[in-house]
Amino acid sequence: MNHFSTLALTLAQADWPAPLHQATLMHYLVVSAIMFVIGLVGFITRRNLIIMFLCTELMFQAAGLSLIAFSRFHLNHTGETFVIFVLTVAAAEAALALALVVLLFRRKMTLDAEGWSELRG
Amino acid sequence: MAEPGAASLASPILLYVGCVLGALGLLLALPRPRVSPQVIGLLVGALALGVIFIALGVRNADHLPNYNFYIFSAIALASALRVVTHPRPVYAALYFILTILASCGLYVLLAAEFMAFALVIVYAGAILITYLFVIMLATETPTSDAVESLSEYDRYSREPAFAAVIGLILLAGLSTLLVSGSAQLKPQTVDAGAQRIEWVPRRVERALREADLIAADERIARTDAPPNRLDGVTDSGLLMDLKPQPDGRVLGSVTIAYGNNQRRVVTSDDPRWPADMGLTNAEGVGMSLLADLPGAIETAGIILLMAMLGAVVLARKKVELDEAAKAQAHAAGAAGGGA
Repeated sequence: MNHFSTLALTLAQADWPAPLHQATLMHYLVVSAIMFVIGLVGFITRRNLIIMFLCTELMFQAAGLSLIAFSRFHLNHTGETFVIFVLTVAAAEAALALALVVLLFRRKMTLDAEGWSELRG
Repeated sequence: MAEPGAASLASPILLYVGCVLGALGLLLALPRPRVSPQVIGLLVGALALGVIFIALGVRNADHLPNYNFYIFSAIALASALRVVTHPRPVYAALYFILTILASCGLYVLLAAEFMAFALVIVYAGAILITYLFVIMLATETPTSDAVESLSEYDRYSREPAFAAVIGLILLAGLSTLLVSGSAQLKPQTVDAGAQRIEWVPRRVERALREADLIAADERIARTDAPPNRLDGVTDSGLLMDLKPQPDGRVLGSVTIAYGNNQRRVVTSDDPRWPADMGLTNAEGVGMSLLADLPGAIETAGIILLMAMLGAVVLARKKVELDEAAKAQAHAAGAAGGGA
């Protein structure tokens, strides 16, 4: 067995039908929670509109990771299927939100979110 | 196996110390006017991640994830931190691609190969390229390489202390709930979806043929009774009795028809019975998508169509309406540049 296939086997230690222990699941969930919190903090602190949307994508990504982890834990593909829909919504959101951002930029020539603070309900 | 408290922590205090350290690292890494010790923030964040992993792992030494998990999650979280703190938007987007690739590694470790590839293609290949285009379209060209030449809203973050406190509270709450909740979960032992191997009879035939159990012209026999169409796809009308096992093999029997309506039964007692007859990840996801959630696909298609229509409408409007405002903004920008 050459080195490459050894590495590939190590990476794919997924052994699908073997039950995943709760402790292993917890590691993935905590990583997903940390990623979500980083995305939220970025959404609060960044003032560039495009980076704010990028931070929402980071939060989508964190949610997707926990969905996949639960899908593996329950040996059920529905969680993975749901990530496909998360991807769909993220793609639709990127198309619309980025068109809006370009529109806003054309109007004021700035991407600063605080430049639009007069938008009040 | 699932003894109570199996997923317990080394100590809750260690977890909270990790959370506080992480918030401190985040606070240090966020860009601020005057001193902003970003490298120190990154190091403190890495230390916090280490403390959290120790808190989670020490009492569960037998159930640690693969060591690749630690590599991929460290890369993913470090580059996520750089997305949030990097002053240049293009670099932030590139770091986000790195986050995506590292989470794809985590997906592969979780046996979700199909979603890992889909994520690389859709996120890193399509969505992030759109982001990069928009960043390049909607950003003034920096005059020099120095950070000072960037616009003020990219250089400094808004309310870093408030955001770090919010993040700390959310992270502490989430991890408390996750740790106390996941101890009560019962792990599954049998892959329920593997029963659907009976929906793909040609694959069963191919696996048996490759194992030399049946000849090239032999087919799986049909049932004598007409196939029951009331419950739709679940009854293929073929004589198969296959059961997935906890170890991933599929055992059971298949009835084979060959010339003159003769039949014979091939069972898994045969030593040549193929060991790898289960569904692959892509097949499982596809069957789950099409059989369990057919309406959701239609909805997703409509969402994508609406997004496309919306993008077209938005793109048309800006050409017609904004000429005057654009000229004004250009004039203002020229005046500001001259002053």
